[in-house]
Amino acid sequence: MSPRRVFVRGAGARTALGRTWPESVAALAAGASAVGPIEGFDARGFPCAVAAPVPGATEGATEGDRRLAFALPAAREAWAAAGLTVPPGRLGVFVGAESGRVTFATLVALARAAGGGDTFDHASFLREGPALAAHLAPARLSPASVTSALAAALGARGPVATVSLACASGAAAIAEAARAVRLGECDVALAGGVGADVDALLLAAFGLLGALSARGVSCPFDARRDGFVLGEGAAMVVLSSERGAAIAEIAGTGGSLDAHHLTAPHPGGEGAVRAMTAALRAGGAFTLGGAPSPPVDYVQAHGTSTVANDAVEAAALRRVLGADLERARVSSVKGALGHAIAGAGALGFLCALEAVEHGLVLPTAGLREPDRGCELPHVLGSAETRVVRGALVNAFAFGGANVSLFLRRAA
Amino acid sequence: MSPRPVAVVGAAAVSAAGLCWRGLASRTIEPARSRELEASHPGTLAFEVPPIPPAADAGDARARKAMSRPARLAAIAAREALADAGFRGGAEATGYFLGVGASGGPVSEMLAMLLGSLDAQGEVSPARLGAEGLAASNPLFTFHVLNNFTLCHGAILSGIQGPNAALFSRGGGTVTALREAAFAVGEGDCDRALAGGADTALHPVTWSELCRDGFAAGGLVPGEGAALLALERIGGGGSPLAYLERASVLAGRRHSLEEVLEAAVASEPDRPVDHLILAPWGEAARAALHRFARRALPGAPILDVTRRLGESLAATPALAWVSALDLLTAGSSARALVLSAGIDGDLGLVTLAREPHR
Repeated sequence: MSPRRVFVRGAGARTALGRTWPESVAALAAGASAVGPIEGFDARGFPCAVAAPVPGATEGATEGDRRLAFALPAAREAWAAAGLTVPPGRLGVFVGAESGRVTFATLVALARAAGGGDTFDHASFLREGPALAAHLAPARLSPASVTSALAAALGARGPVATVSLACASGAAAIAEAARAVRLGECDVALAGGVGADVDALLLAAFGLLGALSARGVSCPFDARRDGFVLGEGAAMVVLSSERGAAIAEIAGTGGSLDAHHLTAPHPGGEGAVRAMTAALRAGGAFTLGGAPSPPVDYVQAHGTSTVANDAVEAAALRRVLGADLERARVSSVKGALGHAIAGAGALGFLCALEAVEHGLVLPTAGLREPDRGCELPHVLGSAETRVVRGALVNAFAFGGANVSLFLRRAA
Repeated sequence: MSPRPVAVVGAAAVSAAGLCWRGLASRTIEPARSRELEASHPGTLAFEVPPIPPAADAGDARARKAMSRPARLAAIAAREALADAGFRGGAEATGYFLGVGASGGPVSEMLAMLLGSLDAQGEVSPARLGAEGLAASNPLFTFHVLNNFTLCHGAILSGIQGPNAALFSRGGGTVTALREAAFAVGEGDCDRALAGGADTALHPVTWSELCRDGFAAGGLVPGEGAALLALERIGGGGSPLAYLERASVLAGRRHSLEEVLEAAVASEPDRPVDHLILAPWGEAARAALHRFARRALPGAPILDVTRRLGESLAATPALAWVSALDLLTAGSSARALVLSAGIDGDLGLVTLAREPHR
């Protein structure tokens, strides 16, 4: 069986700027940003007190799992847009997700179970252990429970996979799904990612890493950038081996590891270059710095608004695309939606899909003073309209895992 | 569609048997009182990795401070698998695919943050969490709890730079990791790859959950470990120890394990299997797998890896494949079928053969 083409048949998203993907696109195209002061909890003491939360999605929704509160509507929207009928055994589900969260009530129980003093009281923890465990709902904690819930919602019985690759999870899940469709493991796949991390625990965790914007601004590639802002949301696509009315197809995917540092990208961007090059090569003949076919007219960058990542990515893009980069446009949706972690790569993919399908190139919100060290053909202010024949999507994770996706107009 | 057959050119295992994969299938190990659980669950019998000699450990002391237990075991296994396979250089062409669990950080460090966050009434205060809680925290804590770091530490220490995936696993995800690796090698995404899993059931919170869900009362003995197979394209220049013929996951969510097993038998190529390696999660899965084994392959020797090495969650299927490889290379088997049944209800099928199928 020769490899099959992989077409994008439907898309859906729940973001901080819209309950559906078209609603989000309208806001993003106008240059809107969802970044603002955190109101869900008292964040005054945190290293960063702003975020881009999805409004109206509380812990009470969807059996208390905010990941499902985003992922389920996004999946249903994508599935409805695709309008496909497929035998359950031929439908796969591939989701990028991280662990869910325990509630503060459970945290209190944890602290008390351990004695509540300055040191860990093991004897107390032993006595209180069963009560503690009762608070830990496996479905809310397991990354795989998101995938299972989406498979159940669609009645899917084909291959399933849950990718936990931090910031690259969503893009990696789409890459896995594309492989499964291309090689015939399934005919149709729901793929995407979800992040639901605008909460005190993740704000604390990323605060510990020093990765968040102290100034509270998400402005990828801007001279003022000083870290990322947490966002959240879900983006899902339906991939199929049958073209139907599809305009876009996945031409190639690429993955690499920096093997360099736990948080910092390789200063030469070697891992990023390898991931992008692999994706473009998979789409056709390509040499580093040469012209891919079709040309890359748009890049949805990882662009987190951290000092090191943006500069390294900009340089890597220049190495990969050479002079052709000047004819393209580059933007990052994180300026508007913050960094949705496991959902980020999938949200980026939908932006690239919008460019390929409708010629709508979304801007980088928050970018006002492009950094000379990140000289790129940016999209400032509001969306541009242009023909996009090929689009590249980048997703680079903490720990140095890189994923690139190459999308093109189906000939 | 199955991946093209690929050659297995090396392996590594870190388990209660120590840092070895050769002889793993024949070693007899008894569970012992867990050092890790002694404080919170005294007297718990477990299959715990013996103390690791400094020379064999992962990275230096500073690097290890940032590692969760599974990340540390995975990093050791990655280094050993690369050496065992003779993989030198070509880091960009080496893939790494790992089934991982939820990497629980040290409870004491988690609590330092939480206890610093309690207000006067003893309730967790987000405002205090952002200030006093963070001040009391180990900055390295975050590295312990991100699931993908189980993979990334080893990649950084061993310089692995190729295609990769960290797949969340309660059984099936680890088999998917092997499948992804086989596809990546077979399709030319990379020349070679490491594939396996790393995890621990000995985290106090994890073990509390397993106790709550009745697994401890049902006889499950917790374990920990990491295991990897080193894969290469057939004819890739390495010295094959065996051949990976099949790696697939059958979803068990809506079927009984027996139904899934029937489907597995129906889809298994008509070639003789002379050894069954079983890796069941819990007694119900164990009974189903053994019933199937006795009926489908009467007389074939059975190796129950979970019984021998404990339940190591995402690591268990990989420990089973490596045990199968041990049987093949020792000449005890020509073709072994590994069946793993995870708590997720999925059934993993992996077939390893001593000779390539022609």
